[in-house]
Amino acid sequence: MSNGRASQRPSALKTGFAPWLFLGVGTILCLLAVDVAPWLKEYPENWVIPLSDGITAAASWFVDNFKWAFRGISWLLNWPMWGVQSVLQWLPWPLTIAFFAIFAHRYGSFRLALFTSLALGYMAVVGYWSESMNTLALVTLSVPLSISIGLALGIVAFKSERTDRVIQPTLDLMQTIPAFAYLIPILFLFGFGPVVGLISSAIFAIPPMVRNTILGLKQVPPAVLESGIMSGCTPRQRFWQVELPTALPQIMIGVNQSTMAALSMVIIAAIIGGFDDIGWEVLSTMRKAQFGNSLLAGMVIALLAMILDRLSWALANQQNVPNRPRDSLISRYKHSFIALAAFIVITILAQLLPAFATYPDAWVFYPADSLNEFVNYIVRNYWSVMESIKNNTLFFIMLPLRNGLSVAINPFTWGFEVTPVMIWGYAIATTLLTLWLYLRKSWRHATGAAVFALFLFFGTTGTPWPVFIGITTLVAYQAGGRRVALFAFFSMAFMLINGLWHPVMLSVYLCGTAVLLSIILGGLIGIWAAHNDTVSSIIRPINDTLQTMPQFVLLIPVLMLFRVGEFSALLAVIAYAIVPPIRYFEHGLRSVPTEIVEAARQMGCTPRQMLFEVKLPLALPVIMLGLNQAIMYGLGMLVIAAMVGTQGLGQQIFLALGKADMGRGIVTGLSMALVAMVADRILQAYSRKRQEALGL
Amino acid sequence: MSINNMIKQSRRIARAAVLVLGATVLLGTGSIQAADMGAKNEPIKLAMHEWTGQHITTLISGHVLEKMGYEVEFVTAGYLGAGTAIADGNLTASLEVWDNNLGEFFPKLLSAGKLEDLGDVGLDGKEGWIYPAHMSKKCPGLPAWDAFKSCAKKFASAETYPKGRFLEYPADWGDRSTQLIKAEKLDYTPIPAGSEGAMVAELKASVETETPLVMMFWAPHWILANVDVGWVDIPHEQLANSSMLKPRTFKVVWPGTKGKWPAAYEALKSIKITNAIQEPLMDLVDNQGKDAKTVTKAWVDQNEAVWKPWVQAAM
Repeated sequence: MSNGRASQRPSALKTGFAPWLFLGVGTILCLLAVDVAPWLKEYPENWVIPLSDGITAAASWFVDNFKWAFRGISWLLNWPMWGVQSVLQWLPWPLTIAFFAIFAHRYGSFRLALFTSLALGYMAVVGYWSESMNTLALVTLSVPLSISIGLALGIVAFKSERTDRVIQPTLDLMQTIPAFAYLIPILFLFGFGPVVGLISSAIFAIPPMVRNTILGLKQVPPAVLESGIMSGCTPRQRFWQVELPTALPQIMIGVNQSTMAALSMVIIAAIIGGFDDIGWEVLSTMRKAQFGNSLLAGMVIALLAMILDRLSWALANQQNVPNRPRDSLISRYKHSFIALAAFIVITILAQLLPAFATYPDAWVFYPADSLNEFVNYIVRNYWSVMESIKNNTLFFIMLPLRNGLSVAINPFTWGFEVTPVMIWGYAIATTLLTLWLYLRKSWRHATGAAVFALFLFFGTTGTPWPVFIGITTLVAYQAGGRRVALFAFFSMAFMLINGLWHPVMLSVYLCGTAVLLSIILGGLIGIWAAHNDTVSSIIRPINDTLQTMPQFVLLIPVLMLFRVGEFSALLAVIAYAIVPPIRYFEHGLRSVPTEIVEAARQMGCTPRQMLFEVKLPLALPVIMLGLNQAIMYGLGMLVIAAMVGTQGLGQQIFLALGKADMGRGIVTGLSMALVAMVADRILQAYSRKRQEALGL
Repeated sequence: MSINNMIKQSRRIARAAVLVLGATVLLGTGSIQAADMGAKNEPIKLAMHEWTGQHITTLISGHVLEKMGYEVEFVTAGYLGAGTAIADGNLTASLEVWDNNLGEFFPKLLSAGKLEDLGDVGLDGKEGWIYPAHMSKKCPGLPAWDAFKSCAKKFASAETYPKGRFLEYPADWGDRSTQLIKAEKLDYTPIPAGSEGAMVAELKASVETETPLVMMFWAPHWILANVDVGWVDIPHEQLANSSMLKPRTFKVVWPGTKGKWPAAYEALKSIKITNAIQEPLMDLVDNQGKDAKTVTKAWVDQNEAVWKPWVQAAM
């Protein structure tokens, strides 16, 4: 990249090419200096400033002095918990099913009632009724708790700009710091028992509620507000009787999202225990690597999530339906009468026939052994196929991205040794490609190619840290301006000085690879689903299951097929991170305005042109949101991936847990959140730019 | 004074007399100091962790306490959370704690005096390097140490070639094997397993496919009843250097136990669950699908001779 050529295009320099040139020179200097100054590659251990010790001390002080207050909360929460649990355990199982079905029919449809009954029936049939009811008790308590706190916080944030500025980043932290990272402090604070699970699930479930409340209130049309003022409302009346009801549909979406989030944290409650719930069953079977058993138990959580999801949607949509004309008392309270009748009949039956009170053991159908045998069969017969898939992915995708081609290529993997000639060849080819792109396309393409070639050669773990920080900060600056750049820079500096650079890079590599593959695969599936209703209807329940089934369950067959290692972890992360791309690609493509599609068709677009030139660019903002979610999900899965033996931040969190080191856990969890937040800020800024460019 | 009150009072006097008499008889006849039952009506809460062996130890102990007249509650509790719960007195005891996968959580609480170490469980624990039986075909010299050393290539995988792949404990359980591999300069690459489930899954898969595997493991463990494994003969000196000699299994109680349930405390102290007790029951539960509560109850009913001395020490 000579300066002579660059100066032919002064406009490129103005648009931000110059800093890349400086960075390029800096990178080359850095790479040349690595041999004399090894600190450029590995951040020296004695430069680490152990912030975690200070945090441990502060946290211990806090725990010692304020424990009583939290124990008080814990004690208070125990009562409703105990109450709900006792009621659900006492209710005869057919009665619980009947109540749910009647409710589903009242607010939904006959189909929903049927689905609800079958799903609850499954829990009884496989013999997990009592455990399922304990889990349901936890959720029934944590959801209203999260919803009311979320609503209150949302209203406060909406009314006060200053509070909003504090609340927004707090919400990000609540959603991205893994629960494992703060498990020890909350255990000390709240004491042992289901309440700790309740608290951690609330921490995770509050943010979507707050966000949707704020969004809903902001979307209230000015005309509605004005009519409120005109009719002489006091400010209080205006808020409670005009604004809030108008925002209700959006708030109900928050309720739904909050419910899902609470359920996905059920497993954390089980890790602490104290409470014989279904998550405990999943964990115990995971420990024994019994796939069949853990699948049967995990299905309960997925089904509970689906029931609550469909019911809360039914309730949410109910709000929009105008009150139906009601002719008589009977039809008005039809469902209540049926429920009462069911209560009387089943309670009496339960007294007479014990089978109605508790589901008899003899009726249990538990096909775990056949499922286990099935997995064994697959493992036995497809072992070599799986092995070659794994090795090819490892050698040609994962190792180059982690260690770089310079290390990944060796006689055992690629079949040859890297020679200096090859390195020179690679360097020359890269330079030529970059130049060509610069002349033919734009400086952006050229820089992109150069950066990619650099990472491919050195890998995320082999790239000197000043280069990585420089590139990321510059990307952040050009996407989102000074604030985003400063945030990215200080976040990376935080990880660096805490001595977490290497684990962070391992996580970035694993998560990055998984997200990349998720976007490609998920994007293809999403495009397919957008054009084919059958595919769409098949893929939806699969997505639901992947998202709510405890991730541990998926690990067992993956482990048996692919063994402990990064490939298994990659698959586990993909299984979770692939869902948002599928959903958002489909949603984005389907919501492209029909007039535009029609106009494009009349102009004679081929299907290919239609997809790449019309639909995908228009769907880009939605797709970017999908990308953002894929990153969040991928990072969320890292802790779980550590259970199949990955190194990186996930393992660091387990190490901190094992050492009962509060400070280390918090610092590591915070680093994970910062990785997510930096990626999020850059992507959001970029997406905003694109939206402005498209005039959306 | 009404008649009713008089009757009540005389009953009280009679009861006291019987108690005093009983106590003198006990003191006079037995050389053992009798312990008081204590808060008999408050349940003793025993932690049930994630593995079957611990369930059996806990259930047997619990049923014995029930025979003594105590009320016992079995509470599912994560290994990690149980530490704080016992320190706070929310749980009374965890009756099978292994020092090889404990991390530093329990030790910290123990040294701070927030937990009380009640002595060994009685299990003869073993820790070492295991390999599935089919590996002795590929490396005939096994389990000899020298054969193991020279067979590294037979244990290799794509990621570790030409070195052997060694499956190490999850990182948070400590890295004793890694230390030993480094110290002895063995041609093996240690790979941390991440979780117990991962180790069991590896072993199952290795047996199904007859693929190579060597890993750090411990006994007694239920999987060893299903799978035929060999233990590498690590020379005693090396074992001792890497502190891999023997994992200790011990009982941990809330420090207030002695004051609140003195007799239960004494009984828990003298309970000894050996491999001979635990292993057959573990087999019934994990391999034959029996209910742990039922089989342990049956065991307690049939083996009074075994558990009577534990109780006699206390009462």
